[in-house]
Amino acid sequence: MFMTDRLLEIYQRSRGGEFMKEVEYDLKLSRRVQELIQEYEITYDPGLVCPSDDAMADRVFEAGLQLLVDVGAYHLDTQRVMKFSKAEVLDALRQAPDSIRLGEGRDMVVAKHRGVEDPNPPLNLTGPAGQACSEEYYLPNLISYAQEPYVHAIESGATLTFNGYDIMAGTLMEVMAVQRDAATAREAVRRVGKPGMHIGDAATGMTAVGKMAASEPRNGLRPCDGRLVAQMCELKTDDDQLNRVPHLLNYGSHIINLMTPLTGGVGGGPRGVAIVSVAETLFGVMAYHATYHYLSITHIKRANNSDPWGMYVLSMAGQAMSRNSHIVWTDDPFCVSGPVTDELLYEVAGHAMLGSVCGYTQHGVGATGGFEPDHHSGLEAGFQGEVGIAATRSGITREKANEIALALLEKYADTFDEPKRGKPFQEAYDVKSVKPTQEWQDCYRRVKEELTALGLEFTEGPWD
Amino acid sequence: MSDEKVPKKFKDELSKSIAGGEVAAAEEVTRKAISEGVDPLALIQEVIVPTLTEVGRRFSELEIFLPELMAAGQAGNACSEVVEGALLQSGEDMQSRGSIVLGTVNGDIHDIGKNIVSSLFQAHGYKVVDVGKDVSAADFIDAAEKNKADIIGASALMSITRAGCREVADLLRELGLEEKYHFIIGGGSTDQNYANEIGADGYAETAAGAVELANSLLGE
Repeated sequence: MFMTDRLLEIYQRSRGGEFMKEVEYDLKLSRRVQELIQEYEITYDPGLVCPSDDAMADRVFEAGLQLLVDVGAYHLDTQRVMKFSKAEVLDALRQAPDSIRLGEGRDMVVAKHRGVEDPNPPLNLTGPAGQACSEEYYLPNLISYAQEPYVHAIESGATLTFNGYDIMAGTLMEVMAVQRDAATAREAVRRVGKPGMHIGDAATGMTAVGKMAASEPRNGLRPCDGRLVAQMCELKTDDDQLNRVPHLLNYGSHIINLMTPLTGGVGGGPRGVAIVSVAETLFGVMAYHATYHYLSITHIKRANNSDPWGMYVLSMAGQAMSRNSHIVWTDDPFCVSGPVTDELLYEVAGHAMLGSVCGYTQHGVGATGGFEPDHHSGLEAGFQGEVGIAATRSGITREKANEIALALLEKYADTFDEPKRGKPFQEAYDVKSVKPTQEWQDCYRRVKEELTALGLEFTEGPWD
Repeated sequence: MSDEKVPKKFKDELSKSIAGGEVAAAEEVTRKAISEGVDPLALIQEVIVPTLTEVGRRFSELEIFLPELMAAGQAGNACSEVVEGALLQSGEDMQSRGSIVLGTVNGDIHDIGKNIVSSLFQAHGYKVVDVGKDVSAADFIDAAEKNKADIIGASALMSITRAGCREVADLLRELGLEEKYHFIIGGGSTDQNYANEIGADGYAETAAGAVELANSLLGE
């Protein structure tokens, strides 16, 4: 199907599909997921968060494809179900890019599809991951990410205020805040000598108008940058999300399909959410023309994915898409603890290693479950990149990744109920020099030593 | 001798069908029980509320997942409507612990958290007026006035939408209604500091916490 034809089809189906109340759709999706778990014999063992079962990975892909074909995707404004045939989905998947150029000039990087246990290290496209940021620390905070040697692109945060005033979505305040934040990101990459570095989003923008306001090639986001187009949980979209697609296509920009499947949510437990994750990826291919995909698995209570459920979904959905497609797929660690704690780095390390082994490019990092403003910094993001590289350098297999991930889990599992929220950026760093405090650097060195003992071979890092 | 007014056969059957999210079966048992002379209010107090409370507990422990919670909530609502209909016919009124208007604020379409809060409030015997998502300050207040609510609960997940909570608080003051309703907030972008800043009557981090907060505000 031609690109414009597919957009028109999406529109038509969002208007002419079956009318259904949202709660009915949720229950239908939930029931079908449970059936597919049985039909495709998907198993879960909390002691095996990273299975090495290729056949099961393929079945997860087939189940996800079947889910999308059977229940379709839901349009929240029209309350209609958009259905697609298997052939249409696979046709769109074949047309999706297998490698993409992010950024421009000497700072451009090429993100390629990654295989399971791929020897090539993942790129690290990272940043505050949409978490809440104070406007006064936003520039040094972004610099803390962009300056890291193992960070290849920056994402963005969501600032809380504009000149001290609350930002209201859908108003001129949103537009002005997005313009300011896009320019701040541009300034951050310029300050660290990487002016062409890819900028992944303008997360303060929540509406289509806000997102589109970032498109400005001199001071804002360029075609070599990107914008998120999100799905609501689960497999839902609306006109506001879809409106971004033709704009971004016309601007020549990267479209990033953001998925936040909930473990414990409509997809149920880890097996169901792995299936839902595949279905949402395929819907992003189909409806959003995504150049790359962003899986942010979210625990329904804690908003993290560093628990065994999150690890399993990451591993199984990753292997399923890696083995059955050629797309570029990213994931992000969302953790319960915050900066200046060893536990945050344990959580990041487990996720980064599993993601690297299971075919992902890296995204993130989320700390404190996103609950505490400013509790995120470049150190843990750069550390994620180092772990991803170390996993490939060390030839970590899925079996070994499972073993290390479970060993790390033991070190932080007790923080799920009592998270160590740590310190905000302005206390974790000297905000003038943008250097981590000695205390935060000590955490980094200590955890790297422990990971080395567990079998990860690191090179010299910026804070060693 | 037991003080319970609902015979065991109805109690077990109704509880099972609500917990299992079987709407039609739950409605049928409710009708049958009422037709055989069971006190409708006793069905609420002895079966529907305790069953939904247990379902809520199991969800908070993640022994069950969101779909089961939603389905049980739907079945419980359907039974409550049958009971309400029977009470109306007999000229009685259904007593609730309190009435709360719930919604997500202007611009915010993320309503999963709000839906969980709604289920737990119903499980604890509250009448919930769910005004949905992306709700303006004026619509929150209209719904509260129309339904004679005790509490207005506003949810905002995204930092860029939390200003919608402030709009509700400001409008309540502007209309001189701040003493008439308890205004509480929740959602990922809010916290106690923000509640204090905008002059809300309370903030809860979790769904269970929201129920406790409401109980406390209503003097229980």
